[in-house]
Amino acid sequence: MDSILSLKNLRKHFESQKAVDDISLEIERGQIFGLLGPNGAGKTTLIRMITGIFYPDQGEIFFDGKKFDPQLDVAKIGYMPEERGLYKKMKVGEQALYLAQLKGLDKQAAKQKIENWFGRFGMESWWDKKVEDLSKGMGQKLQFVTTVLHDPSLIILDEPFSGLDPVNSNLIKDEIFRLAQQGSTIIFSTHRMEQVEEICNHIALVNRGKKILDGTVQEIKQHYKQHQYSVSGYGIEKLSLDQAPFTVVSQKENTLVIQIAAQNNSSDVLRFLLDRNIQINAFQELLPSLNDIFIQLVGNTPTARTFEKI
Amino acid sequence: MKKTWIIIEREYLTRVRKKTFVISTLLFPLLYVALIGGMGFIAEKSKETLTVAVIDSSGYFTKEAIEAENQVDPSSSLVLLTSAPQQNNKEEENGYDGYIEIPSLNWQQGTDSLIFKTYKSYGSASTGVVEAKLNRIWRRILNDSLQLDLSKQAILAQSKIGLVTKNISDEQANSATAEGIGYFAGFLVYFILLIYGSQVMMGVMEEKTNRIAEVIVSSVRPFQMMLGKILGIGAVALTQFLIWIVFVFVVYNVGVKSGTSMGFMAEAVGGIQRMIGSVNVPLILGCFAFYFLGGFFFYASLYGAIGSAVNEDMREAQSLSFPVTMLVILSIAIMTAAVANPTGPIAVWGSIIPFSSPIVMMARIPYGVPGTVPIWQLVLSMALLIAGFLFTVWFAGKIYRTGILMYGKKVTWKEMIRWAFTKG
Repeated sequence: MDSILSLKNLRKHFESQKAVDDISLEIERGQIFGLLGPNGAGKTTLIRMITGIFYPDQGEIFFDGKKFDPQLDVAKIGYMPEERGLYKKMKVGEQALYLAQLKGLDKQAAKQKIENWFGRFGMESWWDKKVEDLSKGMGQKLQFVTTVLHDPSLIILDEPFSGLDPVNSNLIKDEIFRLAQQGSTIIFSTHRMEQVEEICNHIALVNRGKKILDGTVQEIKQHYKQHQYSVSGYGIEKLSLDQAPFTVVSQKENTLVIQIAAQNNSSDVLRFLLDRNIQINAFQELLPSLNDIFIQLVGNTPTARTFEKI
Repeated sequence: MKKTWIIIEREYLTRVRKKTFVISTLLFPLLYVALIGGMGFIAEKSKETLTVAVIDSSGYFTKEAIEAENQVDPSSSLVLLTSAPQQNNKEEENGYDGYIEIPSLNWQQGTDSLIFKTYKSYGSASTGVVEAKLNRIWRRILNDSLQLDLSKQAILAQSKIGLVTKNISDEQANSATAEGIGYFAGFLVYFILLIYGSQVMMGVMEEKTNRIAEVIVSSVRPFQMMLGKILGIGAVALTQFLIWIVFVFVVYNVGVKSGTSMGFMAEAVGGIQRMIGSVNVPLILGCFAFYFLGGFFFYASLYGAIGSAVNEDMREAQSLSFPVTMLVILSIAIMTAAVANPTGPIAVWGSIIPFSSPIVMMARIPYGVPGTVPIWQLVLSMALLIAGFLFTVWFAGKIYRTGILMYGKKVTWKEMIRWAFTKG
């Protein structure tokens, strides 16, 4: 397995809470990795350790196979924090140039890359505008450009779509896919589960400073599936459920949502239906949505973490 | 280090390019001159012309003597009356601002307790004129009584023994000049610390409220970010100061060239030449640069730490920065004492302890090194100031690192100090 980032038993304690409490993660090159968790779960602290803003109290970070060196490796990381902004009085072009230089690009190379990205996003005319004259969505686009400008091999996006309309959201989403295809690894942190299902191929769920779930979206859905199927067929509504290998969860006209009994499988269901001459139109396994899994796993934690003495 | 340079460059260029920088650079010297000139002007303006009734029982203050005096100096006038106005009379009713009852006097003794009764209060500039007029009349009476002719009067007026204090271990002689330069340098450091210190605080607050802080600390260390800001703004202050020096230099040279034709210019140039001749200019300028930079680092880092700890609220920033601002103001109070007595214990310790040394030492140095300020004091003061600002920069860096990413929480000094001394 080719990990770009591997976290080994990371811990970070603050005065009143264990923000990150023994988290290990492997993130493979080229993955779009979803880092999920309720507010205050420790996601931001974890990201701040990966970006070199915080030092872990314990544990190790390996970046690109070597021990993580914040001084050098930040140049290969692009981070768009949730709390983000720009200098309001600065011109758009100068601002992008400044942030690129802080990432270690020299002025000429930075300028060329900025022009390239501005062209791609149709932002050429913004160069001499002040940031305070941009709309919120325009600001977010500029923010995205400044995050990926230096061709980072690891891109960390915290709620990247907040403040964007659907058109611009799609624009950014396509860029995320394109960058991943070109080999960049993307860590994507959000509460919006439908975006995670759409974009990510691997997720980890963090709650109260601990990792409670880690795997591909398919694996996780399989793991949390409840053996429910949706069946529709002619005459199914009149079916006698005597000795059926399933129970009916809900019914809508000639479509049933069924729960297969523990000792049976889907073939048993089909056999049972065929034996009774039901003409089946559709038979589909119902996998839980990530949203359901999320709520099932963290739903009973209090919305705000209580501050405990450690 | 390269990244710190990039930050310094941005902090410097965005400020120097602003119109407010150009305007304040041009306006500050004008305001400074206007302030000093204005104070003199107001003092002159507030001098009131008084009409004072004199009721003489001594027989010396005759109508002739008083009229002669009124012609010599018409700025206030004396009027001889035979009886005192009614005590409860208002000035409007009798036309006088006040009156003086002169008792019978012995010309050999005079009096130092003549009472000037007025209906309102007047400043010493106004009453001083009246006193001077009475004294001139008295001098004439004495001249007549002693039968002094004009030549003897001239000798009395001119022949005096004056005392000039000369500190023989220094090249400098004129303590009035030293006092003037000391005040000027001390106040200049004071203005720079307050103005540019608060600029650092505002700059840090701007980054925090703009939410750009986290974007930047993912590229550079928080300490580099803070240092870049302090150095960048320090460079702006230095630039402004150099512009003023060049400005003074040019005006001075133009003055020297055209001095012969313009009277007041010649006078000013002469004054500056005398002043420069009496103090060690390179030493003062060198020390000024050192104390201005050292003091700036010392205070700017504290102001930066405060800026990182507060949220958008300006009042929060003010209440947190109050103790720091008080230190600067306390330094000015110590400086006033130091100028009055540059070798006293307050002056010596005030110029050695780092928080007040930038202002107090600058006020002492014009009196002379090594006479008034022994070398060991200067070296100790400089060493402590360097140690002091290294400490405050370190201390502020620790606070800054925690504060810059913390939102929504109201912070106290106690918490900030705890941030500085916890691990991480």
